[in-house]
Amino acid sequence: MDYMLAHHLIDPRLVVELGYTIIVVSLCFMIFFKTREIYDLTAHKGIKYFRITFLFFGLAYFFRFLSLLFILMKITFDIYLPSHIFKIFSMAFVGYFSTMAILSLTYSTIWKKLQIKHPLLLFNAIAILISCIAFISMPHSLLILSQAVLLSFTIIMAAYRYNKSRKTSQLFILYILFFLFWIVNLFILGPKRFLPIEIQIAFQIVSIVVIRVIYHKVTKWTK
Amino acid sequence: MDKIRRRRDRLEVVYDILKIIRQHHNSIKPTPLLRYSNLSSQSFSEYLSELLEKGFVKEITDEKGKKFLTLTDKGFRYLEKYKLILGFIEEFEL
Repeated sequence: MDYMLAHHLIDPRLVVELGYTIIVVSLCFMIFFKTREIYDLTAHKGIKYFRITFLFFGLAYFFRFLSLLFILMKITFDIYLPSHIFKIFSMAFVGYFSTMAILSLTYSTIWKKLQIKHPLLLFNAIAILISCIAFISMPHSLLILSQAVLLSFTIIMAAYRYNKSRKTSQLFILYILFFLFWIVNLFILGPKRFLPIEIQIAFQIVSIVVIRVIYHKVTKWTK
Repeated sequence: MDKIRRRRDRLEVVYDILKIIRQHHNSIKPTPLLRYSNLSSQSFSEYLSELLEKGFVKEITDEKGKKFLTLTDKGFRYLEKYKLILGFIEEFEL
């Protein structure tokens, strides 16, 4: 009975998650590949960090789906997976790629103000540190908390920038929404992992719209 | 602000150099190119080395041994895409 109930409850989520992941990962990778030519032509630092953001986000969403698949396999089919395998995917890979993505996107907009000698080295060190701490200490909330701190840093930097230039940026709002949806998506991997499916779908639809708007802006200039 | 300006100028200087070459039927000697580009000789040398190294222009030598600079496909593509590149940088505030 429990098995039937779990099966009945979980299956639609898996389908929703699969569809959502395919759309988001495709959009992220398309942004990465579409900006290749203008980066090759200019070697512009801002373009470099902008495009790798979407490569890392695509990978983070992909590993997030794999983590979720493990949870669902365990619940639905009672398939035992050693916990360290799940931790590698959910904490290490998801933590690493998403931290790299958040840091890259933030840096792409502030690199003119904040000159760092080897930004990728620094970002890798931060991302590895965060994913290692999350992996060792396990509480899922630690990963969410560290990403929320990074998000706050992004908001402060952007607010400082826009306050100085005295203009509001539609792009800034898009980025903040994009990050927020990512953090909401991380909750799904946590202990209280399942939001009501209607809320989850609503979040996912809005997050697809946000990425689609970014993608549309990219294609406008990369014909 | 200075750094933004420098970066924008860099893309613009590259565009200007490539445009001058194209305007001269895609073949110009380095000395007149230096003159038309309005750069110091040191800056010009740096830009030219970069453009040669990255394959935007190539050097050709005629039968009399005179050197000319000519655009490569990549150089033409840069000219073609320049406005889109600026639009992209502006759109995403990069």
